[in-house]
Parts: sequence; C-alpha cells; structure tokens
Amino acid sequence: MTLLDFARGPALEWSLMIMVAGSLWRLVGAFMVRRTADLSEPRSHSTVAGGLRTVFTRMWPRKEFRSETLFGVVAGYAMHIGLAIVVFLFTPHILFIDSLLGVSWPGVSNDFVMFAGAITVAAMVALLIRRLTTPLLKAISGADDYISWAVTMLPVLTGMMAYAHIGGPYQTVLAVHILTVELMFIWFPFGKLFHAVLWIPSRAQLGAAMQRRGVKA
Amino acid sequence: MTIDMQVFKQFAEQIPHLGERAQPPQMADHKRVSAAKETFVRKLDARMAVDLESCIHCGHCASACHFYVGTEDPKYVPIRKLDLLKRVYRRELSPLRWLHRLYTDDITLKELQEWQELVYDSCTECGRCSMVCPMGINIAGMVNVMRQGMARAGMMPAELMAMEQEQGVHDSLFGVGPEQMKGAIMQLQQSGLDIPLDKHDADILVTTSVIDIMLFTDGLIATAKILNHLGLNWTLRSDGYEAANFGLLSGCERVQKIASERIVLAARACGAKTVLIPECGHAYPSMRWEAANEHGGKLPFEVLAISEFLGREVKAGRLKLNPMGREKKITYHDPCKLARHSGAIEEPRWVLDALGVDFREVESNKELNWCCGGGAGVFLINSASELRQKAFEIKMGQVEKTGADSVVTACGSCRLNFMNGSMRSGWDKGIESLVEIVAEALPVQQSSEPAKQTTAS
Repeated sequence: MTLLDFARGPALEWSLMIMVAGSLWRLVGAFMVRRTADLSEPRSHSTVAGGLRTVFTRMWPRKEFRSETLFGVVAGYAMHIGLAIVVFLFTPHILFIDSLLGVSWPGVSNDFVMFAGAITVAAMVALLIRRLTTPLLKAISGADDYISWAVTMLPVLTGMMAYAHIGGPYQTVLAVHILTVELMFIWFPFGKLFHAVLWIPSRAQLGAAMQRRGVKA
Repeated sequence: MTIDMQVFKQFAEQIPHLGERAQPPQMADHKRVSAAKETFVRKLDARMAVDLESCIHCGHCASACHFYVGTEDPKYVPIRKLDLLKRVYRRELSPLRWLHRLYTDDITLKELQEWQELVYDSCTECGRCSMVCPMGINIAGMVNVMRQGMARAGMMPAELMAMEQEQGVHDSLFGVGPEQMKGAIMQLQQSGLDIPLDKHDADILVTTSVIDIMLFTDGLIATAKILNHLGLNWTLRSDGYEAANFGLLSGCERVQKIASERIVLAARACGAKTVLIPECGHAYPSMRWEAANEHGGKLPFEVLAISEFLGREVKAGRLKLNPMGREKKITYHDPCKLARHSGAIEEPRWVLDALGVDFREVESNKELNWCCGGGAGVFLINSASELRQKAFEIKMGQVEKTGADSVVTACGSCRLNFMNGSMRSGWDKGIESLVEIVAEALPVQQSSEPAKQTTAS
C-alpha cells in the first residue's frame, strides 16, 4: 500500500469516523448536562425568533463594538471565506466530495482558488501574529489555539504545494495533503474547531434567553 | 432634588469599616476547594456547557469590559474570569472529561484566592461582554456561578460577607432592620406624608432599600407621593420591605432565597398583585427573574421596577406630568440590571419624554450601555476602589460628550457610584433619580380626590 493509498483508504475512513463520532459525542454530551426550567414570568414569548435573530445578527459586530473588533472580524471573515472557497469550490475537492457523498456542483477557476488560498494563509498568519503579540490574547490562549491553527493551516499549505507541484513528488505531496486534512478531521471534535458546530446553538441560546427578558441580543 | 453630599460622605465613611463586621467561616483549605467545586458542578447546566465549549478565544469580550478598557490589564479579560469554572467543567462534566483530565489541572486554593478579585472586584456582572461575543457566551451568568462557589468556600470579600450575614441573620442592613424602618416611616408620616405601613389588604406592595431609608429618603417620599397621586391601594410592610439582596450580590444562595422569600411572603400576606421594586438595580432581577426559581413556582404577583411602573403609567395616560422645559439638559444612565439584564429600557425614556426635557442619549446606550463600575456590590468593596474609578471615568467621558447638565438614573447603587466618582474627580454634573424628578413634576390636583385608578398594570 502506497502512502497515497493509505491516505485515501483507511486513514480517510478512520479520520472521518473519529470526526463524526467525536462530534456527536461532544455535542450530545454538552446538551445532556443538567437542564432546569426557568419559572419566572417571561417578558416575551418570542424566544425562537429571538434566538434565530441573534444567530444572524452576531455575524457582524454592532457599531458600538466595531472599531475595537474590526481587525479580528475582517481577518476572521477573510480566513473563513477563503477556506470555504478552497474547500468547496476547487474542482478536485468537488470530485472528491462527489465520490464520498454522490453530490457535486460547479467549481471555480484554479487561479481564483489559489488566490483564495493565499488570502486564507495571509489572514491566518496575521491572526497568529496578533495572538502571539497581544497581551490580552496571550492571556487567554492555550495549546488548543495553536494546534487548531496548525491543523487548519497545514492542509491549505500542502494543498497549494501539491497544486504548484513543489515540495517533492506530486503523489507524495498529495498524500501528505490528504493526511493533513485527516489530521484536521481527527482534531475537529477535540479542540476549538468545534465552534463550526456550536456557533449556532450558542448564539441562539443567548438570543432566546435575552428575548425572554425583552432584550435584543 | 439632589442629595446632601455631607450625608453621603457620612455614609461613605462607614464603608472602609464594613468588612470588620464579617465573621469568616472556619474551614480547612481542602474543604474550601471542594465546596467551590461542588457548587460549580451543581450550578453548571447545559447552556453553560454549550457556552464553555464554544469559546474561540478571540478576546472581543475585552473591548466591552469597563474594567479591561479602563486598565488594559490582560487579567481582566472577561472570559479569563471563568478559567476555574471552565477547568472544573472540563474535568467533571464535559463529554470529553476522560481526555481533559489528562492535561487539565484541578483548581487550587491559591487560585481561588487569586480569582476573588476577578469575580468580585473586577466584574459587576453587567453582561456587556455577552453583547459583543461572536459566540454569544453569557459570561456574566457564569461569573455569578463563580461567586456562588466562592461564597460556599467562604471566600467572598469581607464587605459583602458582612452584609450577607447581617441580612441573613438579623434581617437588617447597615443596622437598619424592621424596627428602624418603621421608625423612619413613622417620622415621614408625622411630617404629613401618607405612607401606608403594614396594611393587610393592598394591591401593590412597595419595597424599599436601606439606601433609600438612610440616604435617598427623597426617593421613598417621591414614590409615596406618586402612588398617592395615582390613588393606588399600596403598602410598605415591615415583614418584607428590603429589596436589596446581598445573598445575590455575594453569591450566598441561602441568603438570596431568604431575602426574596421575605418579600414573597409579605406580598402574599397583603394579597398584593404587584410588587414594586425601588431604584435598586440588582433588586429587580433578584425578584423579577430569580425569585420564582428559588420559590419553586410562579410568583402570585407581577414584579415591576419603579422606572418600568412610571413608564407604563405615563404611556397609559394615567400619569400626567408638568413639563420641565427644554432648558433642562439631561442624559439617562441605563442601570445594567434593569436594561441589559431585564429589558426595562424604553419605559424610563417614555417618562423623560413626558417631562419635556432636552434629553440626550449617550453614545452606547440601552442594552449596550457602559456600566458605571459600581454594580453587583462592587461599590462596597474597598479593594475595588481604584478599579471602580477607572471604570467610572469611561461613563463620565460618555456623559461629558452629550453636553447634558445632569445624569438621571433609576438605581441607587449607580447613583452612589456616580456621587463617589464625582467627588473623587471633582465632576460637576448633577446626579438625579428618575422617581424624584417625576415627583417634582406631578401636577397639583384640583380636587382633594386622587386620580382614579383601578389597576396598576
């Protein structure tokens, strides 16, 4: 079995299983912690609407917070949008997803994908430098922040290397690229990458709780 | 109507000695740690679990925190204040606890001691951090759980411990108990003010606070005048008058329940349909949101903050006010516990609108207001004095920008903090109470009959 066969075969299967099972375990486990009913009389009963509103309104900071959070928000969006373009609009990735799930969609030009990849890398580097140099961020950063950064950065870098045919034989670089993606799959349920799942319930529960008290979160 | 600063100074002089009255519990160190941990585990729920699992360590919460912005000290980043709670969650409740235990240290007594400042002195539980958090994490709610754990470990600040113990054991605060309260009310009655006390049948139970009895008597007088003007059937009761809840502020759940149950029982005893909370920020969520859960069922009455009540009366056309004129330039300070925590946001503005003043909003207002720095008992914590002032300076700057001559608020603690901050900074803005300016603007009734009322809702 070649390294590429391993990456495309058992490594892929196991990493996907770990990601799915681990994610379900973490999500269900968090939701199964004790729940208590709030017996106070609500000011508003539109808690579902309040929750949904906050899921969307938190996509951009309110003007009162905009200047202080602008860098993080813009760099965060650049990184996330760039990554989404690379993952979901690069034709080889679409073919790969099609082979796994049987669904496909049109891709965009390779040059555009490389541009998006470069934006992602630049944004991530900027965010890392900020994390390493800003005292307030250093005070709240831990291993998870750096591991999550690394397992996200590696697939982007190795993917760009594979596309550009640099760093060694194509088959090897491609195998390494796939393995780094699998590393990210494995890490996904254990670290802060899991916010990709939790951002909806965490925003929604704040929005619903504040709506219950008559406040728009 | 403004308070005599000499009286305020006499009150302020008591605060440095407040902690001397505390009787710290004798506990072995390991018992303190286990009491805190047991409380954290007992109070953590699924919502908090989702919140603690969600943080992406972006640090945006710092930009919303008056203590961080005022000092730029990284230890005051709001989410960091939850580190100990998060570690206990990870080790004891998290679905990945089997993994987290391998690399997450247990909390220690030294850390609890260090965190006392972070969850008491440097957090007013104002909740502004939740308004910027991209994940929507309710940090203030969990700081309150941290306080509850610290309280069980006997590690709250001495000032709050003294107040909590006095309220729990003696049913008094600053030495003002039911007898002193009755004495103060009788004095007001003798001056000709109609204040019904200990009625057995009333639609509205009015609560007050030690601050109103000792310092802001004008607030209490104003409340009585307004209720009498509206012709409402109300009472104060000596068995349930104190709205301030030092159980909630200190984190002592037992005293929190005792204090709120006193009001519940008093309201039941007189058949009140409404409990009116005075200008006391935390007292409102204490009764409005917490009391039913402590009581174990829906409360048999409506809970209204006085600012909310006034707004509703104005909006419904039952309370007419004499316009004060546009030459009076004022701004309104939203008490965090009334606005962001409880949604009593528009009602005070309806009142100010009815007063016809030149009303100027501060830049970040309503549910996004900056805390004045004195909430959640921080005003009484002596070690928080410098921090509090730095936080207050943010508020001061905001008010300055409006060009208003005075600040109106609807919370006694905020008012005290404004007065203290003003005194330290030599600030010349007036600090006024909403209920007091409303009482000043009551029209003189033509007949001896009060305005006819059937309900207060």
